[in-house]
Amino acid sequence: MADVRLTGLSKSYGKLDVIKDVSLEIHDGEFVVLIGPSGCGKSTLLRMIAGLEGISSGTLEIGGVSMNDVPPRDRGISMVFQSYALYPHMNSADNMSFSLRLAGEEEAQRRSKVDRAADILGLGPYLDRLPRQLSGGQRQRVAMGRAIVRKPEVFLFDEPLSNLDAKLRVKMRAELKELHQKLKTTTIYVTHDQVEAMTLADRIVVLRDGEIEQIGTPLELYDNPANAFVGSFLGSPTMNLLNLEVSSENPSEARFSDGEALWLATPVAPGRATVGIRPECFALQSEAGSGALRAEVVVVEPTGASTELVVRKAGQNITVLSHERLSLKPGDNVWLVPNAERVHAFPDGAAA
Amino acid sequence: MTHAADTQAPLAASRRRFSLSEGQVSVIRHLVLMSFALVVLFPFFWIVSAAFKTQIDLLMGHILFEPNLDGFINVIFDKTSDFLRNFGNSMVIGAVSTFLVLVIATLAAFSLYRLQWPGWVLHSLLGWSVIFHMVPPITLAGAWYSMFRSVGLDNTYSGIILAHTTLHLPMALWMMGVFVRDVPKELVEAAQIDGAKVPRILWHVVLPIVRPGLAATGILTFIFSWNEFPVVLVLSQRQTATVPLGIGKYAQENTIAFTEMAAASTLSILPAFLLLLFAQRFIVRGLTSGAVK
Repeated sequence: MADVRLTGLSKSYGKLDVIKDVSLEIHDGEFVVLIGPSGCGKSTLLRMIAGLEGISSGTLEIGGVSMNDVPPRDRGISMVFQSYALYPHMNSADNMSFSLRLAGEEEAQRRSKVDRAADILGLGPYLDRLPRQLSGGQRQRVAMGRAIVRKPEVFLFDEPLSNLDAKLRVKMRAELKELHQKLKTTTIYVTHDQVEAMTLADRIVVLRDGEIEQIGTPLELYDNPANAFVGSFLGSPTMNLLNLEVSSENPSEARFSDGEALWLATPVAPGRATVGIRPECFALQSEAGSGALRAEVVVVEPTGASTELVVRKAGQNITVLSHERLSLKPGDNVWLVPNAERVHAFPDGAAA
Repeated sequence: MTHAADTQAPLAASRRRFSLSEGQVSVIRHLVLMSFALVVLFPFFWIVSAAFKTQIDLLMGHILFEPNLDGFINVIFDKTSDFLRNFGNSMVIGAVSTFLVLVIATLAAFSLYRLQWPGWVLHSLLGWSVIFHMVPPITLAGAWYSMFRSVGLDNTYSGIILAHTTLHLPMALWMMGVFVRDVPKELVEAAQIDGAKVPRILWHVVLPIVRPGLAATGILTFIFSWNEFPVVLVLSQRQTATVPLGIGKYAQENTIAFTEMAAASTLSILPAFLLLLFAQRFIVRGLTSGAVK
């Protein structure tokens, strides 16, 4: 096991900078998720760590050793690809033991290592099958088995669950987490799915346009996003981003165009501001009261456990998540009481 | 709307009047297919039947005849006939040049498409190979003859094998390029991470997957070499002559030995025919299914 240190890592293709000066320290045994919209460079960054892409500038260290010019096979890493990349002409056991065969290990030793990995992953009955005879979830497990068998210092996952159907994805996600708890190997995991990031990560790294936007534990990022982009990227339904006016006489008050105001957790500079508030941070009232904002119901979406409301307030739509059974209809008036501690103002222009 | 409906009704009716029943369509379809089959198969039929005729039956244009094996016997057993030697020569030249072509084309295709050459290297090499392939072989044969003579390669197997390898390499490179490009990049990357260097990636990962491609390219290359006429005509003499030259030799100044020619042609079809029958099972698509996705 090892820690991974990225210092000022950059990657450019000609004039196009894909990764810009990324510095990041991943501790031994940590599960770090790289997340961001497509094209943000998260996969490129992972491939640079794997050695499949060159490094334009900066240094990459694994276990304290510089890996910039070390070929992938000597970096002590294993990678699970989005497409699994199983060798189609080899059965599951051969797929998993290929690296051991290349390393010149004895047949018996290979067999026992494969059996151990198959045990962990529940692949026992499928060891003699070719990849085309396996289901999606089984292929996924073989790909993970191939990564485990090598006993790597660092696991790299490139969107490993995105080819599975929704139900299987949830199941494999739990298995992955369990696997990490068992093996405690440093893991870097790339995904664009914020639920995967929230549930799996010890720490999340949010990337945009090849730069790190914010690093932190899932709840840190969820509760205190550094900017509107991070705020709206994590969480479902997404964070409400409201365009409000902060007056100069009271910098902790953001006003709607109809004059009603929202209290901010921390005061900001006066002028236009983007204010973020999560859908579950409102209490609903059927009558006016102090600090309550009047809004009109537009859409009601009950899901059983909760109800999602879209309401309109001074020309802006606000999503509200309520865990109570509501008897509201479109057109009704409703009063929102925001939880002032969870209202974030972001400097304008930083919106997604 | 109603107007349009009015005009459409009689149209549909008239179309119905000219429409054919399913049985009639099927008859027409089969007639068309049969005429295609006739166009393709008749020459074969004519040559094979000519091989079993006497010269007189053939020249008189007899449709009904008593089959005899004189043509074949002359071609195979006559002391003056070189056909068996020609056959052997063709086999050796075809097999060795095909082997060389496959080795070079596969290595080249892997290198070009998977080892990250700059774009201009890839394109100029492929472009040049197309241009080379478009040049008629006969224009090269003269130059090759004088080159080979000066280094002692004229009228040798090595010379002809070299020429055939060069001639058929561009086509094989293009074909193998397609098959190698079909091998998912991630498989090569996975093998890199698993610890394989280029030779082992080729041997353990790429080759098993492109096997159908190798079979298809190999069969085509072999058949091209088997049929190649102008270059062997220039480069070989009696000892190294191949089957097409042997067949051509039956057309002499004063007589044309039609039945021997037909018998030799019939025999010359056999290797390609057997090769196709035997290798067909290798040309199976879908070997890569299950690799990715």
